[in-house]
Amino acid sequence: MICPRCAYEGVDTLACSPVPEAWEVLRCGRCLYAWRTTEPARRTSREHYPEEFRLTQDDLDRAPEVPAVPPVRR
Amino acid sequence: MAHDDLRSFLDELDRNRQLLRVTEEVAPEPDLAAAANAACRIGPNAPALHFDNVTGFTRARIALNVHGSWANHAIALGLPPETSVKDQVQEFIRRWEEAPVEPERRADPPWTRNTVTGDDVDLYAVLPLFRLNDGDGGHYLDKAAVVSRDPEAPDDFGRQNVGTYRMQVKGRNRLGLQPVPMHDIAVHLRKAEERGEDLPVAIALGNDPVITIVAGTPLGYEQSEYRLAGALRGAPAPIASAPLTGLDVPWGSEVILEGVVEGRTREFEGPFGEFTGHYSGGRRMPVIRVERISHRDDPIFEALYLGMPWTEIDYLIGPATCVPLQQQLRAEFPEVRAVNAMYTHGLLAIISTAKRYGGFARAVGTRAMTTPHGLGYCKVVIMVDEDVDPFDLPQVMWALSTKVNPASDLVDLPAMSVLELDPGSEPPGITDKLIIDATTPVPPDVRGSYGRPVTDLPETSQWIARLTSMLARGDS
Repeated sequence: MICPRCAYEGVDTLACSPVPEAWEVLRCGRCLYAWRTTEPARRTSREHYPEEFRLTQDDLDRAPEVPAVPPVRR
Repeated sequence: MAHDDLRSFLDELDRNRQLLRVTEEVAPEPDLAAAANAACRIGPNAPALHFDNVTGFTRARIALNVHGSWANHAIALGLPPETSVKDQVQEFIRRWEEAPVEPERRADPPWTRNTVTGDDVDLYAVLPLFRLNDGDGGHYLDKAAVVSRDPEAPDDFGRQNVGTYRMQVKGRNRLGLQPVPMHDIAVHLRKAEERGEDLPVAIALGNDPVITIVAGTPLGYEQSEYRLAGALRGAPAPIASAPLTGLDVPWGSEVILEGVVEGRTREFEGPFGEFTGHYSGGRRMPVIRVERISHRDDPIFEALYLGMPWTEIDYLIGPATCVPLQQQLRAEFPEVRAVNAMYTHGLLAIISTAKRYGGFARAVGTRAMTTPHGLGYCKVVIMVDEDVDPFDLPQVMWALSTKVNPASDLVDLPAMSVLELDPGSEPPGITDKLIIDATTPVPPDVRGSYGRPVTDLPETSQWIARLTSMLARGDS
């Protein structure tokens, strides 16, 4: 399993359905994208994930900080 | 009638046939968001939606589109569902002037029946979370009231803020938070971070409908949302102390989350389909660590769908945006007649005003941009005469088409502040702002040929009554 959004291979399980084996919620350890395994392929499969929402490590590194962390005043 | 919690309001919507209970099994995605999206497209009197049979869940109860029509907004204010938009805004103003109404501290809030703390905290075990739009980075809390206090004045009730901010669920006890720099929680967080501290927060989910309205109302920094809620409800807002943080939270909430915004931490968040009808880009934003969950038995999870307007959020914050802008302007300029700031939370505002002298209207327009809300919104302000109803868009179009000479009626203010979510801003958070002065010039401004307006005939009002009466009788 890889992240549909950033193709990272470190994916963990956030939640399992209260009804056994109905679905799981997975999370990417890098971009924090979360998805339920029963969602449409456009949200769960790297192959079908829309180009305009894909992310790279460079995108994550260049993401602006909002709001900026202010200097400490002691 | 004041509703003390979401449940009693849903019952009231039910009595007014403004609640649709979907009992057939639906998938969490894409059904829940698609249904709420569809409700927005049905028309201005769409019902709220309630789901209790969602695949994979055993006890999930989900309410959507609760404020998502003018009928529901009217019922939230205790008005007849057919009350016109203009009358709802007028009544909102009348009640605003009754504020402040002190809240009522009430014992034994129903959310104390169940508590989870420490390592047992698991948001997914309590909340039936689901995705809204395809490009969203995950599951979001988008209709909660977030409570925080000013770290420099922790005992000041007025500076306690109750606001709605988007929060991405990033883990069992972890949320991303978007504090727009113009909003009060960003001030609280900046002060905490300057002191090297975390910022305690309480997050109230599933609230009475007026709490949700005031949480989206741009009040002044020292104005209390609970005191305004009392005025809008016509009865004191019931509140209680959250057990971990001591913050004041609604007595009737379905779920209370408590924890801290981790000071000086930023982490990737988003994107998220926003009220601008566009996705916000991914940014590194603050993180909330949830340390305690309190909740009712079988809590109802409330969320709203948002996207290309109009969606539920536009009904929810429409009047709540018009009224503070109008009241803040009229405090200095009593000539202001009305403000329609219902478009994209007031990124565009239409203001009607009488004029003291030439150039006055555009001065009022400039002032709108420096109100607390205007600092982040009011990118385009259309000024119209006092006899033009800013809620009557054909009248506004008439004013634009006849009163405007682009040679001097467009006032462009370069590089002004705007919320970063404005997709037109460049860089994000900076934009030119525009006043379109569609008022009739008055001396010493003598431009144009406006000396002979065509007005309704003096006898017209009598004929309106006569024709209306004939129509009511069914005369042919």
